[in-house]
Amino acid sequence: MTPILELRNGTKEYRGVPAVKDVSFTLERGEVHALLGENGAGKSTLTKMLAGVVEPTAGEIWVDGQKVDLRSPLEALQRGIAMVYQETSLVPSLTVAQNLYLADDKHFHRLRGIYIAGQQFLQSLNFHVDPTALVSSLGAGQKQMVEIARAVHHNAQVIIFDEPTATLTPEEKHQFFSLVDRLRERGVSIIFISHALEEALQISDRITVMRDGQHVVTDETSSFNREKIVQAMVGRSLSDELYGSGRDRKVRRAREKVLSVQNLSMAKVVRNTSFSVFAGQITGVFGLIGSGRTEAAKVVAGVLKRDTFHGGQVRLYGRPVRYRVPRPAVLDGIIYVTEDRKIEGFFETMSISENIYLAAVAGGQTRSPVISMKEMKSIAKQWTDLFNVKAINGDARVIELSGGNQQKVVVAKALVQKPKLVIFDEPTRGVDVGAIAEIHQLINRLADEGIAVMVISSYLPEILHLSDRILVCRQGRVVEEFAGHKADEHTIMYAAVH
Amino acid sequence: MIGGLIRIWDNLLGRGEAAVTVPPLDGALCPNRMLDEADQRFALADVDCLAEVSGELVASAGSTVYTLKNGKDWNKRKDYEAEIACIASVGGDGLAVALLSGEIVIDGGTFDGRRYVASPDMRCITAMTASGSTLFITNGSASHGPDNWQLDLLQRNASGSIWRLDLETGTVTRIAGGLAYPTGIAVVGDRLVCSEAWKHRLVSISTSGIGEQEVLYAELPGYPGRLTAAEDGFWLAAFAPRSQLVEFVLREPAYRRRMIAEVPQDFWIAPKLRSGRSFYEAMQGGSVKQLGLLKPWSPTMSAGLLVKLDADFQPHFSLHSRADGATHGVTGAVEHQGRVFAAARGDGVVVSIGLDEIGDGE
Repeated sequence: MTPILELRNGTKEYRGVPAVKDVSFTLERGEVHALLGENGAGKSTLTKMLAGVVEPTAGEIWVDGQKVDLRSPLEALQRGIAMVYQETSLVPSLTVAQNLYLADDKHFHRLRGIYIAGQQFLQSLNFHVDPTALVSSLGAGQKQMVEIARAVHHNAQVIIFDEPTATLTPEEKHQFFSLVDRLRERGVSIIFISHALEEALQISDRITVMRDGQHVVTDETSSFNREKIVQAMVGRSLSDELYGSGRDRKVRRAREKVLSVQNLSMAKVVRNTSFSVFAGQITGVFGLIGSGRTEAAKVVAGVLKRDTFHGGQVRLYGRPVRYRVPRPAVLDGIIYVTEDRKIEGFFETMSISENIYLAAVAGGQTRSPVISMKEMKSIAKQWTDLFNVKAINGDARVIELSGGNQQKVVVAKALVQKPKLVIFDEPTRGVDVGAIAEIHQLINRLADEGIAVMVISSYLPEILHLSDRILVCRQGRVVEEFAGHKADEHTIMYAAVH
Repeated sequence: MIGGLIRIWDNLLGRGEAAVTVPPLDGALCPNRMLDEADQRFALADVDCLAEVSGELVASAGSTVYTLKNGKDWNKRKDYEAEIACIASVGGDGLAVALLSGEIVIDGGTFDGRRYVASPDMRCITAMTASGSTLFITNGSASHGPDNWQLDLLQRNASGSIWRLDLETGTVTRIAGGLAYPTGIAVVGDRLVCSEAWKHRLVSISTSGIGEQEVLYAELPGYPGRLTAAEDGFWLAAFAPRSQLVEFVLREPAYRRRMIAEVPQDFWIAPKLRSGRSFYEAMQGGSVKQLGLLKPWSPTMSAGLLVKLDADFQPHFSLHSRADGATHGVTGAVEHQGRVFAAARGDGVVVSIGLDEIGDGE
């Protein structure tokens, strides 16, 4: 049977450096094919070639037995290939329905019509998203739903999902898996990139593992297990390094209270919530999407504003503070490392050096009073070396990096400002296992150095592995606190949903 | 003028001084049920203050001092002619007993039998601690006795003071004044550490009273009470929890005036050593709907909280009795024979927990 999509000896080079080298890949009709690999393994580049986002330097793409040249995503879409990106590619200033019908000139301006159609379509997918809502007002999970809905809406025969479940709640993940099953039954073929290996093992028919831009192995899912995949991905066993021994470690004792949030309220999202963050400790914050954890952190960092009337208090080292914009918060040593790095984390058209230097300037951490190229290069080199950012050099644009390396740049931007309190929001979202271990080590090192660290994550093993104390959010407030070494997944999840 | 405008603005928006907020019980103060789950409980009605004298645990209740015999029963040690305000160990084998009449009586030890009338201004002795032949005394309020502490809070007074009594000469010296209901005191070198209840903080003051006050720990989520030295730090008894409702009432002078004038004291919206026993208490009839179920709800006015502080007076861990517990209103604590004893006046009980049973979260 002819594969629906095939890449033959595909190579993609950026400035002479190959991101994908001589890779052949086939996707059978109606199969779910998981594509796995470490940070910078070339997964995203491979799928971008298949989706017409980038053109291969060498190699051929065959769709349904025909050799094709895919010069743009629109061409790929016309041939039935849609891609749901790791970071959402929606237009934030348009409504959900307008985003769904963005490429449809005929219907785009008929708002009433597309709202009704959008509502019916979203309901058919069991996605609870308001079609009239502005995309900018949606949380990350809901944006992901709209992305998925858009791909399904275009009646694509091949859908490429890049980290589709990273931002979804367990219930939403369940719905997503049901959706994948329904698509498979309809004969739609799916390429599924994920760093959650259990998910790949659960829903895929075949698995392909890539490493350093090269194909390592493709086989039936039944012949894999977690350990085998990890070894194929990184050539070493990382499971212990990642999440294996979280409960055996000793938790750090709290030092000085750095942050005290008291009865904070923001619209209907953050409701009278109170919590503290201490120096020299990692405070993990777990909650389902909509629990207000990100919004509370953003109010602390000055990204969002609390309620005007009786909005509560935020105290930094006992001093009441109220930030209307992030800059004074940054100057006071509060850094928020965003969950949505593409939109809020970096300037994608700027180089790594420029991004890091800009953060240093914003935080007042430069020696030179004027812009100094020499200092820029030296600061950037120091941080890229420290974080092992894989790039040709500091002049590479951040957008050209893989998700994990982009995240390292975002973290470097935060730390260059010498913070006293760092809030990591989903620090390893869309990051491969190798980079996860590096980012975790870095977070631990910060706490060991006495910095107050807050880690917001939807991934329970990560929370359990990192946190000295765990706060659980539900319906806009912190409802429970656990000592890091005493909590388990069941009790945390119970607190989060009951 | 500008300050006044800012206050009006803050009152309107609920910010600054007018922010009705309470610090969270988290970190070292994370709630547990350790006080209620204590393996030893000794009932003693009206128990208030604890001390260790000559290797024995003594407790004051009403006008009587009791001794815990054989780790089981309370034996009457001595009756006094007036209600006891507080007690403190003097030199290890003497007991200083402060009476509501303003007298301080010494039983046992070097100064056995001596009686001191501290000062006519001291009608609200809340805590004492001895250092050599000097007794440091906190006087909670200049206008109310210790039984009227709720009124002192609702009137937002700050008339408390700290005094030094020389047991040799009987000389009494005022060290500091203008404190917001000082309720606990400890001596650390040449400094005194005092818990200022209505400002929810611990402050350090020179024993001579000269020099600046230094805030050691602020923003407590409860009203701090007596301080006692522990093997490696201090125990702080917090006699009542703070709540947003009380904070709100404290910012409404007209409401407070009417409440004090028209409502019986038992039903005031104010912190209590024990609450929830009467349906007539404010908000007891409130309810919230959660997960489709209508649940009874009211902000608790009492709870049990004993905080272990490290040598720098920062909280290390804490023992709690939650809203539905039975060890409310902790007014004193002392370490004795490898255990910590806590007097819960609200429920008339002394609980004891082995120090080795208390996890410190590490």
